[in-house]
Amino acid sequence: MALLEVDAIHVFYDNIEALKGVSFSVDTKQIVTLVGANGAGKTTTLRAISGVLHPRGGDIRLDGESLSGVAPHEIAALGLMQVPEGRRIFARLTVDENLAMGAFRRRDRQAVAEDKERMFTLFPRLRERQKQVAGTLSGGEQQMVATARALMGRPRVLLMDEPSMGLSPVMVENVFETIRAINEQGVTILLVEQNALLALSIADYAYVMESGRIVLTGRGKDLLDDEKVQRAYLG
Amino acid sequence: MTDVAASRGFIPKLSTLSRFTFVDVVLWALRIGVIIVVIGGTIGTLIKARYGAAQWFDFLVFGVTIGSVYALVALGYTMVYGVLRLINFAHGDIMMTGAFSGYFVASSFAESGFLDTNPFLAMLGILAVAVTTSTVIAVLTERLAYRPFRRVRGLAPLICAIGVSFFLEQTFRGAFGSGVRAYPDPKWQKNTLDVFGFSVPLVEVLVVAAALISMLVLYVIVQRTRMGTAMRAVSEDSDTAAMMGIDVNKVVVFTFALGGAMAGIAGVCYAFVFKQVYFFMGFTPGIKAFGAAVLGGIGSVPGAMLGGLFLGIVESVGPALFLDGIGITAPYQLRDLIAFTLLIMVLIFRPYGIMGERMAKKRA
Repeated sequence: MALLEVDAIHVFYDNIEALKGVSFSVDTKQIVTLVGANGAGKTTTLRAISGVLHPRGGDIRLDGESLSGVAPHEIAALGLMQVPEGRRIFARLTVDENLAMGAFRRRDRQAVAEDKERMFTLFPRLRERQKQVAGTLSGGEQQMVATARALMGRPRVLLMDEPSMGLSPVMVENVFETIRAINEQGVTILLVEQNALLALSIADYAYVMESGRIVLTGRGKDLLDDEKVQRAYLG
Repeated sequence: MTDVAASRGFIPKLSTLSRFTFVDVVLWALRIGVIIVVIGGTIGTLIKARYGAAQWFDFLVFGVTIGSVYALVALGYTMVYGVLRLINFAHGDIMMTGAFSGYFVASSFAESGFLDTNPFLAMLGILAVAVTTSTVIAVLTERLAYRPFRRVRGLAPLICAIGVSFFLEQTFRGAFGSGVRAYPDPKWQKNTLDVFGFSVPLVEVLVVAAALISMLVLYVIVQRTRMGTAMRAVSEDSDTAAMMGIDVNKVVVFTFALGGAMAGIAGVCYAFVFKQVYFFMGFTPGIKAFGAAVLGGIGSVPGAMLGGLFLGIVESVGPALFLDGIGITAPYQLRDLIAFTLLIMVLIFRPYGIMGERMAKKRA
């Protein structure tokens, strides 16, 4: 059984159907990616998984347990933490406070402190900026804050929405190296990306979305070689 | 396409011709008028020299006193606006409920003599009851009236808040009558203290001290505790806060409770300064405190504190300083005019306040 299963969900914005029966699954310790053009429904899918949007049909299951009707903060407590699109860090809070918010539901102070230390090992830049208000950081640093904040919740699945958006090519490389490193530490990752080339090259499994549907599935490497994918997304 | 481009080019040209609209003229007249009154009045007053140093000091101290009460109430407006983007128009009435419940305790303490024999404990008791009442009513208001409107857009939540305001006022009117009741006036409160060689009524010193301590505690809670940090996170982005595992409902309840507690303290302070309670007493200070919150920048906690103090000082010093000089007799009766003129000026010229965000800016 897959760790996270998305089963034929339909999501509407008012009466516009944004997801028309999307199904996929994520297995433990995998990197799974959703790629596709702007407006394909990738972010909508992630927001539905996090419980911010409610599917009108279909089901989302974590470990076989349905998440329908579960509030967003409870979904986070179950281990689905998101790095949202555009980072959405708490700009007026310090880096430390942002990380504390990621660990909000946790009561194991000792382990939280250790995790924070691990974050600073993963992102040494953040250690220097601990007391700094997060809104004053550069885009790349803010991406680190958003990622570390989500990891502080000890996610079973880390949901990452366009982590490369708005970053310089060097920073994009960094972000993808980090994703691989996090995954090697045993965190399952569901990655949404417009940068299909990079996403497919690190993904175990990939789903291509187009106007609210999944149109193509396969192993990341295989899709990289797929003619249709190459034409549509890789130029 | 060329038509559109042409008309686009045409409109700016036309508007440069008539750059000064009627509204601009009115706004400039308002600015200039206020500046003339402020400067002319100040010069006039200083030339007349009707007030001595002791009187000016009195005005200032009273301004700080009343201003710290406004600041306490303004904190409730600003924090609730922060987490819900809702202007809780019932907040002034929540202050009234605190003052009223404190009144019953205070008058029974006064009758039994406890208020005179043991003033410190008595005041603590009065505050405790007032804070409890205001906090409970604030939290109930949120749960019963505002939560069903949480996801409703438009004016409905605001109208609901006005409804809650009427409901509280009329409930207290029905239960306790519409008459004005005199707050106990123990002798020790009439004592004066020496501050920089001027004598200041003890009650004003106590009000300022109580307000400052409460604000300090609140500031520590908001800045240093887990729930306080969560409150700031929800103010910034409640969806993301929820995705991080923060129960937004709990944070909202916490916010209303904090605001209610501050309003309870403010109610007792206000009642001990003006020595009376009645069902409608929350309205004017409520609106003024809202103005103070806007003045400081709605959503900003330090802004509400500063805004409250500033408004209190301006409305206390202002009549004598600005209005006396231009020959207005009994300028003190125009205190509210000064306060509301200030509020209107802020809304027109600096709607985002001293240190806050624009009122009109909503979350996407």
